[in-house]
Amino acid sequence: MTRTWGRGKVGFVRRSLLYRGKEVKSKAAPPWQRLPAGLRDWTPEELAALRAVEGCLRRTFEAWGYREVATPALEYLETWTRGIGSRPAAALFVVVDRTGELLALRPEMTVPVARFVATRWPDTVARLYYVGSVFRGELGRGNSREFPQAGVERVGDGGADADAEVVALAVDALRQAAVPGVRVGLGHAGFLRALLDASGLEEDRQVAQEALYRRDFVTLSSLLDGAPAPVRGALLDLPSLRGPGALQRARGLGVGKEALDELEAVLEAVQGYAVADAVEVDLGIIRDFDYYTGMVLEAYAPGSGAPLLGGGRYDQLLERFGAPRPAVGFAVHLERVLATSQRGGVLAPVLEVGYERPARAQALAWVLRARAAGLRVAATPTQEGRLQPGLSFRADGVWWVERDGSRRPLAPQDLDALLEGRTP
Amino acid sequence: MRSLTVALPSGRLLEDAVRLLRAAGYRGPDGRDRSLVWQWGELTVIVAKPVDLLTYVERGAADCGVVGKDVLLEQAHEVYELVDLGFGRCRGVVALPADRRHLWEDPRRHLRVATKYPRVAERFFWERGRPVEIVELYGSVELAPRVGLSDGILDLVMTGATLRANGLVEVAEVFRSTARLVVNPVSLRARGEAVRELVSRLTRVVEGVP
Repeated sequence: MTRTWGRGKVGFVRRSLLYRGKEVKSKAAPPWQRLPAGLRDWTPEELAALRAVEGCLRRTFEAWGYREVATPALEYLETWTRGIGSRPAAALFVVVDRTGELLALRPEMTVPVARFVATRWPDTVARLYYVGSVFRGELGRGNSREFPQAGVERVGDGGADADAEVVALAVDALRQAAVPGVRVGLGHAGFLRALLDASGLEEDRQVAQEALYRRDFVTLSSLLDGAPAPVRGALLDLPSLRGPGALQRARGLGVGKEALDELEAVLEAVQGYAVADAVEVDLGIIRDFDYYTGMVLEAYAPGSGAPLLGGGRYDQLLERFGAPRPAVGFAVHLERVLATSQRGGVLAPVLEVGYERPARAQALAWVLRARAAGLRVAATPTQEGRLQPGLSFRADGVWWVERDGSRRPLAPQDLDALLEGRTP
Repeated sequence: MRSLTVALPSGRLLEDAVRLLRAAGYRGPDGRDRSLVWQWGELTVIVAKPVDLLTYVERGAADCGVVGKDVLLEQAHEVYELVDLGFGRCRGVVALPADRRHLWEDPRRHLRVATKYPRVAERFFWERGRPVEIVELYGSVELAPRVGLSDGILDLVMTGATLRANGLVEVAEVFRSTARLVVNPVSLRARGEAVRELVSRLTRVVEGVP
């Protein structure tokens, strides 16, 4: 089974799956019985839990005055390369349109929302949120290629107050979703750039930045041999530039003053919200989308080995879509929140109603009333004489059948009690 | 508070990794009883397959890990690569049978290359615009050209003895590798003090500071 593995040029790179010299004859189930790697189904139980978490986030976003927006899962490939740059292009799911146009499934939501606001939104200020799946073409060891996200984008305000609002909203949203021990770290993309600028690197600067994005401090260290000692030290010790006193230590470097001033203003503005105890400076935060220009944030919780949400300020992204406007936002990784949330969703109980043919009209009339009263009701025809747990409309009257098969007759007032949500 | 968990790779790097931890002042049993979890005072040491190691660290089952740069290059990951531990030195090279090394001279020539590193190979040949068919194998890659399964290989070499024994010659270097200390991004924050302690003790040994 030789697969074509082209990226762009079809058939250019081919791969064979071989084992001990033989091509593998797959003994796996046929494709229609399974799913492509990294994709999953959600059962009603699993989905109930996801929707519960999602609902908490939605309600919080709404309470803060944000409006929901939806963009398509597919957009032109060019939209993505324009928005994200070509670096992560390899990770895109690319689709060829009927007309030969290259489209790609969305790998994140900030670019499409920026594209939407820049091209379709009449006002200069927008508070928007979204809920939807994003797709990555390559399998990481997260093993997912589709994962649900929810997030906010606050467009049009460049100040520290807008940043602080988004930071406080991040904390509030996770707390509403019953995530215990939420911590939010605040860094600054401009500070990292200033450090790289001060390192004296010229042709290797891009390589150093890539190494930093990959969190490869070994390569970074080898590139920084000629850098001023304090700058080199700060870059290599970035992960520890956090917590109380980190701002002071960073100021001591005499680099990135503007960025540090901005961060300090955000911290001050956050004081007004009841979340300051969950927020700390973390100048080592490295976000891997390079559209960030200002404050960046990540949230953590005990029990999750990866950030629950991430985001930051991206003041030049909308300009790439023709409408220069400052903006800030974050995206929540819903599966990770689900794993740490103490909320847990449960399937709402459904009242099972069985009816024998002669009692059908009576049963269905009652079922209609019950649904109108807000009950969840499933009505199913039953063979004569058979008993199923729940409510049973039979030729010989209406019965309440327990799980163990025992039953008792119901009077009209019992049926009314059921309508009010009481068990007869 | 639970102790810091360090994942070590089974196989060729294990002995040096254990020696490094001991030199850094950590003490404990090293699994002569074949157990894969060792309690070393404040450290919990686990032993995992090298290919699985990043999974343990990335998902936070281990806070830190020792892993070859070759694995970091092959697998996409979100861990911090903090220290070059210096041991496990080797190189990734493309090698062809001595009597067919001329195949490399023609960059338009379609090559079949057997490797345990399909992503690295794909990237290497793609960046050079060389047409290639990658044959993914899990071991004894040098066998492939001898039996006509491939034209050449992309594999790790340490001394070059295996290449020579199989009549292969190196035609290109793809990467250089040593063992690295990697850290889970959340552990780096939530357990920063303990991680820093480990990093500084290991760095002192690696740099030869007493």
